[in-house]
Amino acid sequence: MIAHLQSSETQKLSKADFVSNQNVRWCPGCGDYSILANVQKVMPELGVPREKIVFISGIGCSSRFPYYMNTYGFHTIHGRAPAVASGLKIARPDLSIWVVTGDGDGLSIGGNHLIHILRRNTDVNILLLNNRIYGLTKGQYSPTSERGKKTKSTPYGSIIPPMEPLRMALGAGTTFVARMLDIDPQGLQKALKEAHAHKGTSFIEIFQNCNIFNDGAFGHISERALREEHILTLEHGKPLIFGKNKDKGIRLNHFVPEVVSLGNGITESDLVVHDVTNSVIAEMLCQLDYPNFPVPMGVFYQVQRDTYEDSLAALVENQVTQKGPGDLRQLLYSGQVWEIGATQVGQGIEEDKFSLEEIDIFPEVPREHRKLMEEPISALNPPLALIVSAEDSVAHAIELMQEKNYGSVHVFEDDELIGIFTEDDIVNKIIGFELELKSLPVSQMMTPTPLCIELKDTIAFAFNQMVIAGNHHLPVIEDGRPTRVTSARDLLNYIGNHFKM
Amino acid sequence: MEQSELAQPSPPVREDRETATIRFAGDSGDGMQITGDQFTVTSALVGNDINTFPDYPAEIRAPAGTLPGVSGFQLSFSHHDIHTPGDKVNVLVAMNPAALKVNLEDVEQGGILIINTDSFSENDLKKAAYANNPLESGELAGYRVVKIGLTTLTLNAVQEVGIPKKQATRCKNMFALGVVFWLYGRPLEHTAVWIENKFGHLPEVAKANRLALQAGYNLANTMELFTDYYRVKPATLPPGVYRQITGNQALALGCVAASVQAKRPLLYSSYPITPASDILHELAKHQNFGVRTFQAEDEIAAICATVGASFGGILAATGTSGPGLLLKGEGISLAVMAELPLVVIDVQRAGPSTGMPTKTEQADLLAAIHGRHGECPLVVLAPQTPGDCFSIGIEAFRIALKYMTPVIILSDGYLANGAEPWLLPEIDELPDLEPTFHQDPEGFSPYLRDPETLARLWAIPGTPGLEHRLGGIEKDSATGNVSYDPINHQKMVDTRNDKIQGIAKELALLEVNGPQQGDLLVVGWGGTYGAITSAVESLQAEGKSIASVHLRYLYPFQKNLGAVLKNYKKVLVSELNLGQLCQMLRAEFLVDAIPFNKVQGKPFLISELRDRMLQLL
Repeated sequence: MIAHLQSSETQKLSKADFVSNQNVRWCPGCGDYSILANVQKVMPELGVPREKIVFISGIGCSSRFPYYMNTYGFHTIHGRAPAVASGLKIARPDLSIWVVTGDGDGLSIGGNHLIHILRRNTDVNILLLNNRIYGLTKGQYSPTSERGKKTKSTPYGSIIPPMEPLRMALGAGTTFVARMLDIDPQGLQKALKEAHAHKGTSFIEIFQNCNIFNDGAFGHISERALREEHILTLEHGKPLIFGKNKDKGIRLNHFVPEVVSLGNGITESDLVVHDVTNSVIAEMLCQLDYPNFPVPMGVFYQVQRDTYEDSLAALVENQVTQKGPGDLRQLLYSGQVWEIGATQVGQGIEEDKFSLEEIDIFPEVPREHRKLMEEPISALNPPLALIVSAEDSVAHAIELMQEKNYGSVHVFEDDELIGIFTEDDIVNKIIGFELELKSLPVSQMMTPTPLCIELKDTIAFAFNQMVIAGNHHLPVIEDGRPTRVTSARDLLNYIGNHFKM
Repeated sequence: MEQSELAQPSPPVREDRETATIRFAGDSGDGMQITGDQFTVTSALVGNDINTFPDYPAEIRAPAGTLPGVSGFQLSFSHHDIHTPGDKVNVLVAMNPAALKVNLEDVEQGGILIINTDSFSENDLKKAAYANNPLESGELAGYRVVKIGLTTLTLNAVQEVGIPKKQATRCKNMFALGVVFWLYGRPLEHTAVWIENKFGHLPEVAKANRLALQAGYNLANTMELFTDYYRVKPATLPPGVYRQITGNQALALGCVAASVQAKRPLLYSSYPITPASDILHELAKHQNFGVRTFQAEDEIAAICATVGASFGGILAATGTSGPGLLLKGEGISLAVMAELPLVVIDVQRAGPSTGMPTKTEQADLLAAIHGRHGECPLVVLAPQTPGDCFSIGIEAFRIALKYMTPVIILSDGYLANGAEPWLLPEIDELPDLEPTFHQDPEGFSPYLRDPETLARLWAIPGTPGLEHRLGGIEKDSATGNVSYDPINHQKMVDTRNDKIQGIAKELALLEVNGPQQGDLLVVGWGGTYGAITSAVESLQAEGKSIASVHLRYLYPFQKNLGAVLKNYKKVLVSELNLGQLCQMLRAEFLVDAIPFNKVQGKPFLISELRDRMLQLL
């Protein structure tokens, strides 16, 4: 595909190398700043040349992201970033592609694209910055706004419950599902690196505070004093424990999660042990929410599955192996192709003026030779045809042809010519019927209703009719009756003899 | 048997016909498309010029025997060059009363009706809303009616194979085909080979189909069903190698050829929609060319994926029909803003809304040119024949790559499914489309332009030192950064427009078919080429002062169009809409163009065009 371009950046990059020359225009205090800083911090640590990194976004506050990254970037249209990224990844599997979206962009207007990129498992990293509000359009409720939320468009409170992005992702078959908090640098950086390392679509929901239109939406977990009590930090292989004193955990009681305090007979072994490959646990974790439960943060689910672009590349490779690399000429000239030779009438000749004299049959040949083609069949003195009747056997017809040294016999029924049985029929149709030749009537093997020509027709016309009929023998009509026969060999002999003279 | 025993045989001497038009019609499950296809291929192989038009219902399997369920396939084959599938039908094969009812109005007076009498029970007649049996009521008096118990005869013919009755009944299309093959003296071999290839893995089915075909042929031969039988001699086409091709196939092959000539892989990203889906199907077969097909989750994703792929530096195209074109509008406008090369194929169908998905129309012209918000210019092309779809596909990519712009191709249902012999191009004569990617970081900005074409530089991800950000927001003409500056916006809008208008400078001049000046100029575009050309040429042959031009470039126009229009006393614009091109010509050139329009989901008839032209002469 793309020739491997040598990165000009062999030196170690730093965060500053990923900061673009554009002024960041989010509102002061916006959670996006922290996310941007952490992304810029992580980029140099990924080992990917800067020119191989692409940030793609849709529309919304978070979608301004690419302008602030000194990488390749594309600020597309509302909700469509996953679709643009899908096309780019098919074109350029060598690139590290990051999609930045929001709860409105990704879950509302672009919901369909998000579901389908997750389902395909295209190797793209998706950061969904969830602030539970429409910020850029100045404060309407979003798909993740809680029920009862009062916004500009819901002055008396939203009447629908919020959707759960991670459950949607699990349902779509996502192979890496995580959740992070904007003000947790260590957690964010770890998750970004894991998302990058993951082969397949990585989906990280990042709780992000909009301090203008939805300030404190995540206050119950982001305030320092509350964090440890209200956040359940997920670690693969570790029991689900939380609390300032690590004294609380999650236990399953008849498959229903409950919060328990350790001690009084309850030990770590009673708790659920996190397993990122277990979708039942992932689904259960999605249901844990404040205030009844701590809010899980970290990687919920991670499994390996073939990526879309790898499967597609394998498909192409497989086709190349099977059919060979594409040959355009072969492709265009495939199927049922036929050739019209230079012997045909050119386009410039009008139909009503059509006559053999204007046919440039042998452009390189002197006129007297050309005239040969215009001679009538009668000049060949075509021989009388051999005749058999329809119910005669094939064997009988062949014997007759051998005996008289003919290439064909006419087949008659009730005094009518119903077909012609020729060498071509013997060659083409006889295989498989060798044992039945004596019993099989010739009418079963003949060429039915052959095209006929008349004695006055020209040699050229006879050739033409042979081409149409696909047969080397034609009955010749004399006095209204197909009593004679001519063959391609007769015509060629006649022409050949002419040249000898 | 001795020679002397021969007494007055009557050989089948065939009556010569210049052109013949046959329509096969039945339930959509009756295999009429296959039957028509087989007759077409055989006719092509014996050297006729051919033109076909399948007419199938939107409902894949509407209730059997009902009027909406009728599926048809019309073909014309000729001794001379033909441009359309024929105005009037000479032979109609009607598998049931509904097929007869829907198609009878198109059959010429005195034409042949081959009718399956086994499907004319009271119940069949009721489904087709016939109060009286037309075979008995006398309403078919003006036609030559050939009644054949197709179902019964087919069952008898294939009895020896011993396949289930339902399967055996399905062979009746081959029986009908055999009858028509005999009528026109066609060989059975090609269809026999096709049957082997198609049903080779089911030897019994293959045998039954073969037997039915032969039995139909024999029946016509022995029963003297027809008083006349015909011969259509091979046509006189320019020398070269031909194949049968539909517009959709040709567009797909044009995309592959563009990819080969550009030495870049192709992404074809599309959401299934009638009548464009066949392009996706065709391209999906050619992955060994490096073609990637992407069946997107919706029309919007389909265009957006091409935008992404184009950003990445490969060839990208998407195909759709009218409803999808509108959904793609915002994605196309992003490609206009980001100045990325891609091709959008709109196989037009009758609208608005869902309209008549399987029927043809040319009413997306203004939508293609203007159907986006803001000043959003791009290039619009239209192929004029099925074979021309190949050339237009390559031309669209040539312009897209050279000028860094989206290009819309307006095909239509008639071109898409219609077929004609296609004179295969010489591969060596195809243009070189290999793009140049910018590499030099010195002084780079994403909106630096080629001063001549005004095309933006194409710098693709992976190129060190050229990291930049594109986007839908207006950009500064110099730095490429986001800019809301009023003067800059004016400059960028003007530049994008100048770039597209400037393409006209390099386009070959429009060629006039006929005298350079005269009484009447007929203007058309797209799939109406065949009908308009036939009508104009027939009037020219009668000595009328008439000429025609057919536009393949609809935006921008070729630069001599205005001058050509002024060389004739009257200008008639014929199109399958309510006068969209006519409006454009009047606005652009202040010419008193007269519209001739039709919106019936059907192509123009040569006769109706002739009549209208005669009124103006």
